[in-house]
Amino acid sequence: MMMTITMIIGCVLGAVIGLLVPAIPYSASKYLAIAIVAALDSVFGGIASNVKKNFDVSVFISGFFVNAILAMLLTYLGQRLNVDIYLAAIIVFIGRMFNNLGIIRRYLLEKAKRANK
Amino acid sequence: MKKTNGNRIGMGIVCFALTLAITIQIKTMRLENSVVSQSFADDELKDSLLSWKEKYDKEVEKLADSEKELENMRKTATTNISNSTEKTEKLRQNNLLLGLTKVKGDGVVITLRDAQSSMQIEDASSLIIHDGDLREIVNELANAGAEAIEINGERIVNSTYILCAGNVILVNGEKISSPCTIKAIGQQEKLYGALERAGGTIQQMRMSKMPIEIKKTSNIEIAKYSGAITKKYMKSRGE
Repeated sequence: MMMTITMIIGCVLGAVIGLLVPAIPYSASKYLAIAIVAALDSVFGGIASNVKKNFDVSVFISGFFVNAILAMLLTYLGQRLNVDIYLAAIIVFIGRMFNNLGIIRRYLLEKAKRANK
Repeated sequence: MKKTNGNRIGMGIVCFALTLAITIQIKTMRLENSVVSQSFADDELKDSLLSWKEKYDKEVEKLADSEKELENMRKTATTNISNSTEKTEKLRQNNLLLGLTKVKGDGVVITLRDAQSSMQIEDASSLIIHDGDLREIVNELANAGAEAIEINGERIVNSTYILCAGNVILVNGEKISSPCTIKAIGQQEKLYGALERAGGTIQQMRMSKMPIEIKKTSNIEIAKYSGAITKKYMKSRGE
């Protein structure tokens, strides 16, 4: 419960500050986009591991930053080599997101069943 | 307890970073006014096309309604006046001459098609129908005394323009492309002769292998002008 509240506070703060901060140059927006996908993946992973009760904050935070930075580096490399490598990163991240979503969904269904009994 | 606090703060930080990044990204994309991908841009264009088409159809319906109303009004107005029959007849004659009524009569039908491309011709531009070709044919028909001319359902009236608009031709603002059917009412021999004369437009077009068909046809039906004839700047001087 407390976790949800913290998440919502974080989201609101992020949106407010995001509105105040000036826009970034267009060429950088590709990197930011891939970072967003990485962050989304991390959040879903965090929720899923929280559900599985094996949440570890150091794994979570390091995973977030390392994934985002690696994805951005791959995007950069892809631009140099003229290959859309970022597509691979997006596919992996989104695939994992769906996996994690499945775990969360199963957990919620179990919980609802137990509550009904 | 300490551990769960740490978990919460970590999660909060990542959520914060995520929404911050999303907000900045959306802001940037909106500022750049760029499209995220080609298919999104296509969808938007299709949407606007559909809505315009809908609007257009509605307007056409409205126009038809108004025309009906006008007709009714005319009828009632003319029945009220004693010397009405003469006036109605005059009105009908004028509308006929202006091209505001469907007309029927003998004349010629010309069918133009873009030529099939072949390897020998290097200038592809000579293979297709141009606005100039249509203008010249209309000119020749008018010169030969055609009383009513129509291109693909668009009546030629005194405000008609024939313009090139990329890969289509605009006639009265409507898009027209190959095949073009030009119908003209007039004295058949005269029209046919004018079109087929040596050195005429048609002969020149045939030289670039364009398939052109000219047929003398009786009882051709020619559509009425569907646009509005307006005047804004000119005034009658009185006599």
